[in-house]
Amino acid sequence: MKKYKKHVRAANMLLQALSGLKKERLRQIQKKMEEFSFKCSEIDKNSHSFNAAVNRGWYLAANKITSRVGRNLNDFSHHLDQFKNFIATDDIKLPTLGDIVAGMLQIEQEYGEIKFDLEAKTISVITDSIALEDISFGAFEIRLFINEIKKLHSESPYKIIALEPNPAGSDDEVTHPHVSHEKLCEGDGFIPIRKAIGQGRLCDLFTIIIQILQTYNPDSPYVALSEWEGTSCYDCGYTVAGDDCYYCENCERDYCSQCSTYCQICDTTICLGCSYECPDCKKPVCRHCTAVCKECDEMLCTDCINEEGLCQSCEEKRKDQNNEEQKEESTEANSGAAVLSDSMGETIVHA
Amino acid sequence: MRIMYINNDGGGFADFINVEEGMTIEKLFKQKMPHEEAHDYLIRVNRQPVPKEYVLKENDRVTVTPTKIEGARPVSQ
Repeated sequence: MKKYKKHVRAANMLLQALSGLKKERLRQIQKKMEEFSFKCSEIDKNSHSFNAAVNRGWYLAANKITSRVGRNLNDFSHHLDQFKNFIATDDIKLPTLGDIVAGMLQIEQEYGEIKFDLEAKTISVITDSIALEDISFGAFEIRLFINEIKKLHSESPYKIIALEPNPAGSDDEVTHPHVSHEKLCEGDGFIPIRKAIGQGRLCDLFTIIIQILQTYNPDSPYVALSEWEGTSCYDCGYTVAGDDCYYCENCERDYCSQCSTYCQICDTTICLGCSYECPDCKKPVCRHCTAVCKECDEMLCTDCINEEGLCQSCEEKRKDQNNEEQKEESTEANSGAAVLSDSMGETIVHA
Repeated sequence: MRIMYINNDGGGFADFINVEEGMTIEKLFKQKMPHEEAHDYLIRVNRQPVPKEYVLKENDRVTVTPTKIEGARPVSQ
């Protein structure tokens, strides 16, 4: 009997948790009853107002109440259906201590050792190494948190912990196509898992979880097996195989071909976010191949900035200006000479 | 004769049912799951695997669990 001491203690804890779950369900029924009772009281209120309105000949008010009652009746029927469905779901039938211990022994028979952490109130089973379509994900620990059972209908009270993780290339938290952040996406197993926990059928619970881990649903994985080894594009999230992945040397992240480019001056691979399109020649360049025009302060690629540090348009402007100045100087020289020749001794005054 | 029948497929039925005397586990499976193949399920009687000719007895506990259960990413609402 000493051999099964831990089993019995854990079974007792589980039984207490299931009692708590049953109490929680009764509380929920109470809450639903109160909501339903409130809806009924609204009908009662409307009935009094309607009666008063008819007696006083306030037909407009009576019509308004009628349409309000019509709307409320739709809500009422929805609440009634919800209430009926909730009551109709299986009541929690508490197992016996012996049933729970027998379930634990069955687990040991089917899956090997069962691990108890009575302080943390957890029960764990370790699976064999799991592989799907030749991709191995290693063994998993399925850890049931007894204290979390009371939240069964809102959260999963267990975690799926990868012991030799082979996470998806695109997301380290996805350790299996249907496990993310140690949470299993139960899919078709959702209801059977909840029923197995609620009825204290431990072996059924672990069996269902293991069968889900051993099955691949290609229609709805976190990461498809075909994309398991790939890398996720930092920009769009698309998973790309190693050869199609581009590393941005500026921000040091991986990108797909659609979200990356290369500097057309130095050929460095860069992402679209780190690339700069020269407003002049429209070529994408990296930040190292850009320069600011000394004149207009516009940033351009180094190909579009001349040796003097000017962009093409500033260079042209400067040329024009120089030409103008030269013209002016020559005009001045010419007109000065004319003054001198025609009016010797007169002073030239510029306008 | 009354047996406990637990079906971990779909809705997760678990309750006592009445079966005829002398019914084998194979016959029960065919009756309960006429469109399914037995090899796609883990079938246990009183927590043990049994041959298909096993004749059910009063208060037996039969569990049927699919070997393939599809997980799925939850749909955000």
